[in-house]
This record gives sequence, C-alpha cells and structure tokens, in this order.
Amino acid sequence: MNVDVVVSVAVSAIAYGTPLVLAGLGELLAERSGVLNLGVEGMMLIGAVTAFFASQVLPGPGWAVLIAAIVAAAAAGAALALIHAFLSITVRVNQIVSGLALTIFAGTIGLSSYAGQVWGVGGQHGLHQLVKLDVLGLSGVPIVGPILFNQDAFVYASWGLVALVTYYLYHTRFGLYLRAVGESPRSADAMGINVSRYRYVHTIVGGAFAGLGGAYFTLAIAPIWTDGLTAGAGWIAIALVIFAFWRPGLLVVGAYLFGALSSLGFTLQANGVQLPSELFSSLPYVMTVVVLAVASTTMAQRRIGTPAALGVPYVREEG
Amino acid sequence: MISIERSLVTPRWQRIALPIASLFIASIIAGIVLAVSGHDPIGTYQQIYDASFTSAGALTATFVYATPLLFTGLAVALAFRMRVWNIGGEGQLYMGAVGASGVGLLLGGWPQPLLILMMMLGGGLAGLLWAMIPGLLRAYLRTNEILVSLMLNYVAGLFMYYLIYDSTSFWRDTTSASALVFPQGKDLLPAADWPGIAVGSFTMPFGFIAGGVFAVALLALIRFTRFGFEMRVMGDSSAAANYAGIRTRRTIVTVMALSGAMAGLGGASQIGDFGHVLDPRGLQQAGYGYTGIVVAALAMYNPLAVVIVSILIGALTNAGFALQGPTFPIGLVGTMEGIILFSVLGGEFLGRYRIRFGRAPEPAPSVDDEAGAEVAR
Amino acid sequence: MDSRAARVSAASAESATAGSPPAVAAVGVTKRFAGGVVANDRVSFEARSGEVHALLGENGAGKTTLCNILTGLYRPDEGEVRVNGNPVRLHSPHEAQAAGIFMVHQHLSLVDSLTVAENVVLGWSRHGGLGFSARTVEAEIEEIASRYQMAVDPRARIWQLSLGQRQRVDILKALYRGASILILDEPTTVLTPSEIEQLFSSVREMVAGGRTVIFISHKLPEVFAIADRTTILRRGRSMSTLEIAATDARQLARLMVGHEMSFDVHPRATSVESEPAPAVPPVLAMDGVHVRGDFGIDALKDLSLAISAGEILGIAGVSGNGQRELAEVVAGLRPFSRGTIRIGGENVVSGDPRDAINRGVANIPEDRMGTGVSPNLSVAENLILKSYRSSSPHAGPVLLMRQAEAQATALMARFDIRAPSPRTLVRQLSGGNVQKVVLARELSSGPRLVIAASPTRGLDVGATEYVRSVLVDAAKQGAAIMLISEDLDEIVELSDRIAVLYEGRVVGVVDAATANYEQLGLMMAGATS
Repeated sequence: MNVDVVVSVAVSAIAYGTPLVLAGLGELLAERSGVLNLGVEGMMLIGAVTAFFASQVLPGPGWAVLIAAIVAAAAAGAALALIHAFLSITVRVNQIVSGLALTIFAGTIGLSSYAGQVWGVGGQHGLHQLVKLDVLGLSGVPIVGPILFNQDAFVYASWGLVALVTYYLYHTRFGLYLRAVGESPRSADAMGINVSRYRYVHTIVGGAFAGLGGAYFTLAIAPIWTDGLTAGAGWIAIALVIFAFWRPGLLVVGAYLFGALSSLGFTLQANGVQLPSELFSSLPYVMTVVVLAVASTTMAQRRIGTPAALGVPYVREEG
Repeated sequence: MISIERSLVTPRWQRIALPIASLFIASIIAGIVLAVSGHDPIGTYQQIYDASFTSAGALTATFVYATPLLFTGLAVALAFRMRVWNIGGEGQLYMGAVGASGVGLLLGGWPQPLLILMMMLGGGLAGLLWAMIPGLLRAYLRTNEILVSLMLNYVAGLFMYYLIYDSTSFWRDTTSASALVFPQGKDLLPAADWPGIAVGSFTMPFGFIAGGVFAVALLALIRFTRFGFEMRVMGDSSAAANYAGIRTRRTIVTVMALSGAMAGLGGASQIGDFGHVLDPRGLQQAGYGYTGIVVAALAMYNPLAVVIVSILIGALTNAGFALQGPTFPIGLVGTMEGIILFSVLGGEFLGRYRIRFGRAPEPAPSVDDEAGAEVAR
Repeated sequence: MDSRAARVSAASAESATAGSPPAVAAVGVTKRFAGGVVANDRVSFEARSGEVHALLGENGAGKTTLCNILTGLYRPDEGEVRVNGNPVRLHSPHEAQAAGIFMVHQHLSLVDSLTVAENVVLGWSRHGGLGFSARTVEAEIEEIASRYQMAVDPRARIWQLSLGQRQRVDILKALYRGASILILDEPTTVLTPSEIEQLFSSVREMVAGGRTVIFISHKLPEVFAIADRTTILRRGRSMSTLEIAATDARQLARLMVGHEMSFDVHPRATSVESEPAPAVPPVLAMDGVHVRGDFGIDALKDLSLAISAGEILGIAGVSGNGQRELAEVVAGLRPFSRGTIRIGGENVVSGDPRDAINRGVANIPEDRMGTGVSPNLSVAENLILKSYRSSSPHAGPVLLMRQAEAQATALMARFDIRAPSPRTLVRQLSGGNVQKVVLARELSSGPRLVIAASPTRGLDVGATEYVRSVLVDAAKQGAAIMLISEDLDEIVELSDRIAVLYEGRVVGVVDAATANYEQLGLMMAGATS
C-alpha cells in the first residue's frame, strides 16, 4: 500500500466526513442538553434543498450568494428544530416520536422533496459551488498538502466550529451550565439555571448545524438536488455522537474514521485482502454497543459522560 | 395568573374525539399548504382517496404498504407501553427478512402451509433474537436500550448488504443472467409465496390477516392474562411492580422478545407476501421500522388502533407513489404525514392538561419536607 | 467540658454586645398549607452573628418549613423575616442568597460528572464574563477550604467523592458565594464520626469570623457538642430558646416531645400485661442485621428485634434514622448484608419481595401513591396486585377480571372504600381511600406480619381512626404488626412495646404501658448514656 492510497483515503474521508461533523456537532449540543433529536436526516435534507434553491435564485457575486445560501440552510434547519423543541420540551411528547415525525415530515418523500418540486430545482445544474482553496500555497506539499491545505471553506469552517464547540463546552460558563443541564437537570434548576431555555437554544442550534451539514451536499459535494440526497448521513451523525461519547474531538475523529473505513474496505479488496467492507463499517457500531454494555455501572457511566437525562422530559416537581 | 396543570381524568369520549379533531385540523393545515403552493386542496384529497381506496387495484396496493407497518407498529406499541424504548424495529425487521428468506430458500420443497409457518417462525425468531440483545442488556446491566437498539439497526443493515452485495452467501443469486450484471438475492420458489385472500377485485395479503390476528392476540395478552397484568403495572409504576413482587427483569426481556418477534414477522411478510427475494436496498429505503414507531404513537399504543392507523398511513403512502408525477409531488406524502403527526401529538397535549385561572393552592408538605428534601419553586 | 466553658464565656461576651440586632430572625411567622396543616404557628426565632444555633425538634415540628421560609422558598402567611434587624421580603432562594442566607440540604444538588470547582460556580460566578477559568476558581476554592479546614480537591469529580466530602462541597458553595448565615439541615446523617469532628471544627472557624450557623438537628449529643444556643420547636410552635450551657438533655427532651400525655391517647397496652407469654417463636426475628442505605452508608447497623403474633411493636424515632430501610428490608425490597431475618422461624431470602409476600408479609408502604398502588390502574386491579399470581380468580394464565371485580366490590364494602366502582382509577381517589385500598389488599389475605409505615400520614380524622382500628383488629386476629410512625402519640396509643431507632440501631425497647415521653424523647435524641 503506497502513500498515494493513504492520501486519497484521507481526502475522501474528509469529504465524506464533513457533513457528518457539522450535523454531529449540532446533535451533540442538543443531546448534551438532554434532548434526543432523531430528526437530523430531515433537517439535513431541508438544509440541502434550501441552500441549493438559494444558490440558484439569488443574484450577486458568487461568494455572497454562497454565504446567503449557507445562512438560509441554517435557518431552515433551525426552524424545523423549533418544532421538535416545542413538542419535546413544552408539550413533553416522547422525543423519539417527535424526532421521527420530523424526519418523515421533512425527509425523502416529505417537505424537502416537496420544496424541491415547488421550487423547481430538481435536475438543475448548480450555479455556485464551493471550490477547493489553496491555503498558503501549500497544497502541493507531499502528503499533508492535499489533506490539510487543499480543502474548501466549509471544511475549514467545520474545523473551526469543532474548536469553537470544544472551547464553549469546557471553557465557558455557559458550556458548563449546559453540561449540568444534560447531566442533572434538577441540580441545574436548583442552581437557578433555566433548563427549558438551554434545551430550546441547543436543540435549535443543533438544527441549524444539521442544515449546514445538508448544505455541504449541494454546495460542495455535487451541484445537484435529488430527493433523499443525503442518503442516511443524518442517521450516521446520530450514531457518531454516541460513538464519540458526546465529545467534539472524538466526533471529528469518528466522522473521518467512518469515511476512511468505508473507502478502506474497497481499497483493501483492490489490494487482494478479502475482508468485506461491511465488516469494517459495522465495527464502530458494534464497539459502541460493547462499550455501552460494559460501562453500564453508574460509576462507569459517569466516566463516559452519557448525559444522564437524555430523552427524559424535565418536569419541575410541583410544590 | 394562568397556570397549566395536569388534568386527572381524561373522559373516554375525549380519548377518541381528540385524535379525530386533530386529524381534521391536520387536513385543514395541509389544505392550506397545498393551496399556497398552487394545488387544489379538495381535488388533491379526492385524488388521494381515489388512489388509496377506490380506483382499480388501489386497495390492494394500500395493503401492500400497510402490512409491514402493522407489524412494526405492533412491535412498538407493545414495547413503548411498557416504557421499553425499542427503536430497533428497523433492524429486527431486516433480520426477520433474512431469517424468513433463508428458511424459504432452504425448505423450498416443503408443502406450502408448513413452509409458510416455518418462514414465519424463522422471521419471528430472527427478530426476537436481535431484540434480545438490547433487552438483556437493559434488564441485567441497565444499559440504555434506545442507544443499543439504534446501533443494532445499522449493524443489521450492513449485514443484509453484506449478504447480497458483498459475498457469495446462500442468499445471493449467483446464477441468473440479471444477477451477473448487478448483485441481487435469490428468488424464492413460488411455493413460498404467501397466499392472499381475494375479495372481489381486492386482495388482502396473508401477512395482514396474520398481523390482525396478532393484534387481537396482543390485546388479549395485555388485557386478560396475568403476564399482561404485570406488563401494565410495570408500564405504570416500576416501583409498584417491584413492590408487588413482579420479576421486572424477566418481564422486560420477554416484552423485548415479543416486540422483536413482531418486527421480524414484518420482515418475513416482506419476503413471503411481496418481494419473494431479499432486497436490502428496498427495505432500507422504505424505513418501515421507523415509520412503525410513528404509527404506534398515532394509535396511542393500542394494538387494534394500530391496525387502523397502519391502513391510513399505508393508504397515504400508496397514493403518493401511485399519483407521483408533475402535478402530484411525492413530497406531499411525508409533508401530510408530518402535519397529521404534529396535530395529533399537539392535540394530545390539550387533552392531558387543563388551564387554571388564579393561583393554584400550595399542597401540604410531605414528610420528605421535614427530612430536608429540596423543594423547587 | 472545656468547650462548654469556652462557650459560656463567649456567651457572656455576646450579651455584652446585646445591643446589636440578631443576624437573622423570624418574627411571628405562620405558614399554612392546603389541607389545614399549620406547619409554623407564630414562630419567633432569632440567631446572632458569631453563634451556632441549634434548631431542635422531632418530625413535623416545623424546622424545615421555617428554614425554607428563611431561605426564600416559601413566603410566610403572617409575620416577617428580618436580617440584621431589617425586615426583608424573600421571594426566591436567590433573594435570600443575595441577603447572605444559604442552606445546605440533606439531599445535595451536585452534578456528579462535573468537578468540584465546576459545581461551585454552577449558576453563579464571582467574575462574570463568558470565560470560565478553572484554575482561578480552583485557587479560590483552595483558599476558602484551607481557611475553614475543609480540605477537598477542587479538580476531583463529584462521583469520586465520599458523602462527607460532597457535603463539604455544598458548604464551600455557600461560602464561596458569600454566605453570612448558613443553615445546615441534619448534616451529620451522612458523616462518619471523624468527619463529624471535622465538620464541627469547620463550623467553629466559620462562626469565629462572625458568621451565623443554624444547625437543624434532633440529636442531643451533637447539639451539646457544637451549639451555643438552641430553639426547640414542637408541632409548629417555638417552645423555648435556651443557652446550651444552662440546660441539660432531660429538659431538652421534655421540650421536644412534651412531658404530658395528651388526654385522648389510650394505650391499649394495659390489656396485654396480664396474659402469660406463650412459648411460641416470634413471627419476626431480626438478629444483627446490617443494611446498606442509598448512598453507601449503613442505614441499619447490628439491628435486632422480635415481634410475636398478635403483638404491635411500635418503631419510634425521628425520620431518617433507618425506619424506611427497616420497612424495606423486612418486605424484601432491600437486601441486607449481615445477620439473619427469620419469619415464622425460617430464614428469608435477602432482597426478594416475592419471597416476603409468599411468607405472609404484608407491607403498607410510606409512599402509598408511588409504591403501594399502580395509580393508573383500577381499584380492582390494585386489589389483586399481589394476589394475581395465586389466589385471585384466574384460569391458568388468563385473569378473570369480572370475578376479580366482584371480589373487589365485596372488599370495597368491607373496608369502606368510597369509589364509584371497582373500575375507578386509583389516582382519582382521595388519600384516605387510596390507603384503604392498600389496607384492603394487604390485610384481607390474612397475613402473618404487617409492616405499617406512617399509615395515617396525610389522612383526615375519620380515615385515621379507621386505619388505626383496622390495624388493631389485625393484631387481634393474630398478626404481628410493625408500626413505624413519626407520630409518637400514635405509637404510644397503639403499641404493646415500643422500640426506638437511632442512627440505625435499636437503642431501647420499652413496654408501652409504662413508657414515658421524656424517656422516649431522650432515646430518640440519642441522649441515653
């Protein structure tokens, strides 16, 4: 196996992984506040179609259109997430049901497809696309060049967001409060933290990020729109968050790992190694189950940091 | 001051009237969406009704979509009632399809009634075993079954893909002409086709009838048996169940097993009633397991209601695919389903609570108060 | 002796500055709750700066309600709260905290996965701003911790800490936020003896700096060890405020439980004394039993007691001394780690409720709605909650609900359960009727042993009388009854013998006929030597 293979696997891993990183960060924030959002796939699709539509109809210079399209995608994802937040937090509906309702509502044969048809963007060729940049002129550098210095703005933005979310979680007051809300809403409430507000904000922001992840598909990966374009990326993002045990750093690693694994399988076979790619692809999920099972004592759960209140509506005790 | 407090009693009429009212409101909202985007609401509804029920072959097609939803809906209704959050119906259905198709291929020569029975057993057993993983983990290690069953969905999907697209397994068709061009599963022999009951021009799949029987059986189980009693107590108050000497861990495992078996039977029905071949891509795209969760929620986790709701959602899905074209966007299906769901879920909110004017009286402190427990205001 | 002398001189120094107003005071505070409960009845209380003031009282005395008023959780119906002589209106804990009043509760509100430092600044920051510098906070915490001898590693995560250390974190939280008046609610419940010593020295440091510490307790030895003055509450009223140096255990015990027998208490014990004791093994025999509590400390230590058929053994004691765990372990809801429990002479299986049920143990739990019934099921279904396995109408696996409902109707008549029909959901019933459902279910099976935990709590007069008469009847039918109650009058009235629980041990067993309140009060407060 030569270096070129490694580089190409890495580059495709990043391309595969970027929407996962974006949507995953959003889901991470929502779950850290205690809200399980299974509607990510729907939000990504809405983001994808909204971004595409915006990029087709908005006038102006390329970079401005792209920025506007990205913002529109984020807003669309956030709007959907608002529905989920309202149902889960205020109405206190089962979060699983609410999230799935959103995926059906906005999904492959739902609103995203409907919007695509109403807006007439199916089959059109994208007018604006994100291009790969040449950062500091270093994209020619062997090995590192193509991987680190020859990506599009979105990829760099995703790296920035990971750093931002990490800083937010562990070095700001609000990130601390967020972690408390997800871990023990009662204690957080007793300390005067508004649990509802934190859950709303982070669920909506999560939706915005999911919209961004969807936008990457139509603005960077391929300049077209079809129904169900994201092909399950939203679901993988949900699994990723759990696999990364709600840590942004592990999330990025996991996202690129997933990407590498799926292309690695084919690569190995091309080199005569007879292991099915599905085996590799299923490893992260199996590992996650094993870790969850082994770490089921309360002590170990603390160490992992499962947001203890994940999926449970918070009801302040009366009286 | 206005406060919202939980209403103690939901009168029986309200329990039925509320979903119906919600459906009505949903159709109005959907109608507005249609009108705003340039479609004629009444006309569209008529088209949907026609394509689901009245036009030639419509009813049969509706039941094609309704049957898997019946099974996965029952699976979820059973589990969620007991507050066991089995969202692994998707993977359990896949495994059921694998199991049933394997049995069907293996025992191809057997007499049909026996073959069908074995296929059902194979599918049900596969789903049951797949569900036992999160079930046992939850019961004995208290692992979160939402996360585990979700992960196993992905694993089951990958396993199916492996069988057909990436290996020379027993399930894969390696001989026929089309199989040389593109990987596909082995077709089952015609003997393995599950019969349909023909009523005039409409054929009801065997699977749906079987599912209906299971729905009745599950209802009877829940309401009339001692085990069902234990389930209901556990679903209501796990502290009371423990106090009453109910073996809670065994009950959790059993319910998960039954739930998985239901979903697995849905997979078996996909093979026996409809495709007659293991089709991973089709199954994954359909998402019957996840839709089943929504069906169960709409049915308020009542098995008999699941039968009805599965037909409704099946009808809508069928109409969508049948009418799909330039004047009828397929996206309407999901959009309308979503609006229905939001209305029913939101409507339930109104039914559960009531608005009180004025200040609610403070309740007496309990002994916990004396013991210094916190009281949040 | 030394500390007492020191405090006497401190007290006289205090009186020299008696001109300054007390740090915190409640003046004529009355608090009523729904249902006619008067938790505080014109209570007057004051604590001075630089003193440790113990709030004494048994269950239901009103200590916690009073402190909840001082910390802004409740608003008084009458009277007012004063801080440094100025009346204040406290609408929330935050306003109380702004006034310097903080409370450390028995159930700590800490987030397990976060560090000590993170918990201390949760919801409030000294510095404001967006950033959270762990290092700065850690340094500040270390400074406070060392000043008050409360060593704890600010980088440790809460789940790594013992209960005593967690309590220290809670106290540090209050000190970090500028507490001048600190209320500690039964703090020694979760502490080892050496931790108690450390707590006391920390408290002395705190008050040396001019702070006020209010110490809620029912344990006399501790009160004498740490407090300067004490106020005794009984049944919502403040009885007296005394200098510790000027009083003794007997006087305090008498004030806590009252030395007169109330006129309407008729101990039934008088009828039993003349009967010769039959030589039958006791129905329940507990020997050297150890039970782990919820937070890793032993709730019951080396506990031994016995109850004979037809006898009512009252378990007296301030709540939190192991009563709940005692009821749970006998009912099989909690495992025991050492010793033996025998019912009818046979060893029971530890931690198995079904085993207990099969041996004829009936359990009327303290939390009737949460544990004793399934609230969204019907009366009939709740009545067969335990018997559905064996004696209820069933044909194999099938439950015959119609017959069960017929039986339920009969039981409802017999036990005076007022409900429209056996199909009524239990959560729609009044508290008294819910308890009657529990009674009907538990007693109609002719049990050998009945555990009754706070059976009349929250019930009106009529229901209370009914429940008591039913229990007495069951004893007459030959059942052994363990009556756990916080109402001492009830215990004295109904029991044949009374065992007092203190810190997980039985510190004394007396005949109800000859029991006197002062003696019981002393035992309940741990003041027997």
